[in-house]
Amino acid sequence: MNNVYIYDGNFLNLLNLIMYLFKNKVVPGNIKMEGYLGCLFDYIITLKITNTYTLDNFNQKFGDYNMHIMYYVFLSNDKNKELIIYYYLLNYFKYGNNLSKMRNLNCVDRALKISKYVGNEAHKLKGFIRFKELKNHLLYASVAPENNVLEILSWHFKKRLKNEYWIIKDTKRKIISIYDKKDFYILKEEEWNLQELILDKSEELFADLWKTFYNTTGIKERLNERCRMNFMPKKYWQNMLEVSDEL
Amino acid sequence: MDLKEKLQILADSAKYDASCSSSGSKRSGKEIGNTSISGICHSFASDGRCISLLKILLTNSCIFDCKYCLNRRSNNIKRAIFTPEEICEITINFYRRNYIEGLFLSSGIVKSPDYTMELLIKTISLLRNKYHFGGYIHAKAIPGASPIYVKKLGSLVDRMSANIELPTEAGLKMLAPNKDMGKVSAIMGYVRDNRSRNYVPAGQSTQMIIGATKETDLEIMQKSESMYNGYHLKRVFYSAYIPVNKDNLLPSVSMPPLKRENRLYQADWLIRYYGFKVFDLLDENNPNFNILVDPKASWSLKHLDEFPKEVMSSSYNDLLKVPGIGVTSAKRIIKSRKYFTLTFADLKKMGVVLKRANYFITCNGKYNLNRELFSKNFIESNLILEDKMTSNNNYEQLRLF
Repeated sequence: MNNVYIYDGNFLNLLNLIMYLFKNKVVPGNIKMEGYLGCLFDYIITLKITNTYTLDNFNQKFGDYNMHIMYYVFLSNDKNKELIIYYYLLNYFKYGNNLSKMRNLNCVDRALKISKYVGNEAHKLKGFIRFKELKNHLLYASVAPENNVLEILSWHFKKRLKNEYWIIKDTKRKIISIYDKKDFYILKEEEWNLQELILDKSEELFADLWKTFYNTTGIKERLNERCRMNFMPKKYWQNMLEVSDEL
Repeated sequence: MDLKEKLQILADSAKYDASCSSSGSKRSGKEIGNTSISGICHSFASDGRCISLLKILLTNSCIFDCKYCLNRRSNNIKRAIFTPEEICEITINFYRRNYIEGLFLSSGIVKSPDYTMELLIKTISLLRNKYHFGGYIHAKAIPGASPIYVKKLGSLVDRMSANIELPTEAGLKMLAPNKDMGKVSAIMGYVRDNRSRNYVPAGQSTQMIIGATKETDLEIMQKSESMYNGYHLKRVFYSAYIPVNKDNLLPSVSMPPLKRENRLYQADWLIRYYGFKVFDLLDENNPNFNILVDPKASWSLKHLDEFPKEVMSSSYNDLLKVPGIGVTSAKRIIKSRKYFTLTFADLKKMGVVLKRANYFITCNGKYNLNRELFSKNFIESNLILEDKMTSNNNYEQLRLF
């Protein structure tokens, strides 16, 4: 039998569950989020545990760097991300702060690569996101990232567009981030009634100017389609007005 | 003339400037905008170049008559000029929609350098002070302008630069008779001496046109090296010459020398981050880079007696000399080898490009290939073949003879 432990999708609860497993010397077959449909040989276990540690406790215990790595793995779309975090932590107790240098360990190599992948995607989207101005001067953008980077993006735009109201919608995960000039809130799509989007009248002008600029600034003698696609993969084009019609 | 046509004309005239970086500054605006220390690319143009900044000229009318330039006085083209308000409106509205990271503002020279600088300053102070824009701004300083304007403009922007355009005085005399190198270096010197958190925080850069004049790669790289050392430049950009004008002083080329430009950038990196000197890579007998093999591999092939290097014991600087090992992977090797014995598989995990590095390293005394084949000819032909395969892969099947 494959023992699968279930948590509710919260990072802190996941870490507490893992600590509980360590304490009781249980090796999980896997750890999965609520709603996981088991396979034939899965034995699904949902434990009721009270959180012994807070995020601050964990930060102090494992250090900012390791917490950053684990959190980014947690945000990824990797199928076995929980198990990777489990083994990463398990090895932390053996190697301490040298853990990130132990690239010969599979779980360390995977964790570092996945967290880098998530960080890279977030960085790319900080540039590739396109807001539209709506009638009430609200800025609205939709993204469809591979990983759950909405929170990272929200932190970025909270600093950058602090005097604007904005909404970013992750169409893959059906969640939205709403910013009210003070803070942002991440909600499920159905928790917020997004009315029909009516564009501001300035929107057409600036979208048109942007496309004009985009099409002018490329140098035709240097045309390099492959290079463009390497840096700006097609999966992001649908939400980028300057290239969406080239799809 | 409507705004769209203006934008088209003034973006078209600005596009030949290679610089588009938005890194190196930590600014946080009160109302709108900040900068990211690593820079952010917002899009990529059809030529594969990053679009980070709204790259435009304030005006494309110019009193100069530089042979290579689209905007030279003697060209019969449509001229346009933006008002400061128009530039601010476009910048702010593009920025709010996250199209751009900021503004790159250059200009043709109208009336005089001082007058042009005044226009640039007026525009950018409006953007900073009335619109409270805290995003990235890269402005071109106009050579020949009075220090007071250079001082003012630099205090408003993140990066300021003046283009040297050609690597030698002789080249400049021939193609850009109104320009002189002394005026460009005067600006560079001023920025070097006054740079601070509030004055050109992201530093300065410059650009050279490659292939419009007869300079060798050695002359170009020597110029770069002396500017990096003398003026603490952040970047020198190399821009493959694209014929936009007909002139009997200009070479007739059909394609811009992109491969050559690529080699120069590679060498530029070797000089800034890998501890190479220009004379390690080139000398009077070999004044140009090999188009088939990259500069680092050429160096390694010339110094094959220093290879193969043992990854478990070589110093950081020695590791950097190995083709296929970069700054990141060299650092990782140094950090990790204290804790465990590396294998070739581990090297791969750390990001070493084994298909290049294989020829030049031993790992724990082991050589990954047949030791008997360790010779210049064998390695060189394999590296060239490897490059050919990667660059042709997606287009056509390799032809056999």
